[in-house]
Amino acid sequence: MTGRRGGRPLVPAYLSTGGVARPSRSHLERLSVLTAAGPPAPAELPAAGLALLDVLAGGSLTVVEAAALLRLPVSAVRVLAADLIDRGLLLSRAPIPAADRFDPDLLKRVADGLRALKH
Amino acid sequence: MIELPDLAAGGLALGTLSALALGGGLLRSRRRLAVQRAEIARLRGQLDGVLQMFTSEVEHLAAQRVPAAARQLTHPNVLVPGPLQPRTSSSPLGIGLESVLRSLRAELVAQRTRIDAAAQAGMRGATREIQAALYRLQDALRKLQQEYDEPELTQTLFQLDHENEQSLRRAQVAAVVCGAWVGLAREESHLVDAVTGGQARLSGYHRVRVNNHLEAGTALVSHAVEPVAIIVAELLDNALRHSAPDTDVVVNLEQVHHGVCVTIDDAGVGMTQDERARAQGLVAGSEPVLLTDLGDPPRMGFAAIGQLTRQFDLGVDVSSPSAYGGVRAVLRVESHLLSHVDPVEQPPAASAPRSTRKPARDGTAVSVASHGFGAEGDDGASTAVSGHQSPRDAGELPQRRRRVRATGEEAGAPKKQPVRRPADSAAALGALQSGTAAARAGDDTDQTDVEGGAAR
Repeated sequence: MTGRRGGRPLVPAYLSTGGVARPSRSHLERLSVLTAAGPPAPAELPAAGLALLDVLAGGSLTVVEAAALLRLPVSAVRVLAADLIDRGLLLSRAPIPAADRFDPDLLKRVADGLRALKH
Repeated sequence: MIELPDLAAGGLALGTLSALALGGGLLRSRRRLAVQRAEIARLRGQLDGVLQMFTSEVEHLAAQRVPAAARQLTHPNVLVPGPLQPRTSSSPLGIGLESVLRSLRAELVAQRTRIDAAAQAGMRGATREIQAALYRLQDALRKLQQEYDEPELTQTLFQLDHENEQSLRRAQVAAVVCGAWVGLAREESHLVDAVTGGQARLSGYHRVRVNNHLEAGTALVSHAVEPVAIIVAELLDNALRHSAPDTDVVVNLEQVHHGVCVTIDDAGVGMTQDERARAQGLVAGSEPVLLTDLGDPPRMGFAAIGQLTRQFDLGVDVSSPSAYGGVRAVLRVESHLLSHVDPVEQPPAASAPRSTRKPARDGTAVSVASHGFGAEGDDGASTAVSGHQSPRDAGELPQRRRRVRATGEEAGAPKKQPVRRPADSAAALGALQSGTAAARAGDDTDQTDVEGGAAR
């Protein structure tokens, strides 16, 4: 009616985790990388857990990316992910550290070396 | 010549005669008088009787019949007693008394409606304010949930959000019973979202199991979304309230010929015939609701459903018992209130149960329907793979989409989860290494074998 996308959500976030906000494991951070572990999802999994596995079906995502895709708060996705990790359906990896700036001098020398190889 | 004694005798005779005649007349008139007196006495007695009967009828009217007639308006089972003398009912007196009762009833009904309308207007105004305030609170709580992800704080925020949803439900239902609008404009939404949203408004939502047998993308037109959520919440509330805390309430969403049915079964105590008839009358919404009819504390759920079914052309049936022993409530949504939302463009909420109509529970198939990547990959395979957005959502902000499935298809691997356990990676690298070594050794057959193993 109002024509805007994504108005007030009908389904509140607490329903995704059944009201639980404390993840069973605490090492998950916003930028932890989640990867589906492979075994097919059992049917009795809560709907939100299945949804999380679905968004990870194509590859790995960070917690915060999965939260954005599922339109859930990060805290809820952490609970879901921790549960799935406990079930052995999900793997997590510590956040990828921010890359150091490459030394421009080193890059230049590599480029020179490559050019020298070409000739 | 007439003698004096003759004269005297004649006069005497005449006198005697007239005296006799007079005496006879007197006697006759006295007898008639007596008869008349008796008649008068009889009539007076009758009159006294009538007066007494009239008085006692009026007293009976005031003492018994008027209160009973007034009470009958609220309690239809109360019987209004008839007149004391059964004969009176056909007499003009009886007809007059009956008309007194009739006009009394009419006036009482009018007064009740007027007073109730005033009460409803007052409550409507109050609840509307409360509802708006609770929506603002909800906004604030959800913003906090997005911003902070510390578990302890989130736990509190979740609890507050849930409490807020419940208060909101009560305020909204009170407003709806009082004839207000549902108070919130929503956009077209998945039907399963509306049902799940209704479920979230209840304290016992853990006990609700939703089975979604609808086609993906079955949605409600915008103006029906909130009413359906309210109705489902109220039916679920009734089911949860009247069933044991260790039993489940089962919700089934099914496609029927004229639309969609939401069936709610509980394994509770069920309703008696009377209760069921009353509930059915309320949810049908055929009669206007009076607050004074709802009891104390007012039971508003069914009355709110009645208001909504009437306004939005929805059908609710609570007249049949459930196979589980409790109550079966069926909400019927007609086709003209249904629409279709692309489940790829606008997927249902993450917590909404999946449709059971999909082929299987394997991850890739579900992912195609619920999120954009797979389906777009199919389009993108023929068009240019831009890696960002397809032309159809050009009006929106660019969104990052992954192309893993598309490349997977190009590579000719139809269904393979690109998942690598560390052990798999090691095996693959090991295989590559040994394959390379084998190739260097010049053995062709070995090479293909090992590569086949590596791809797996």
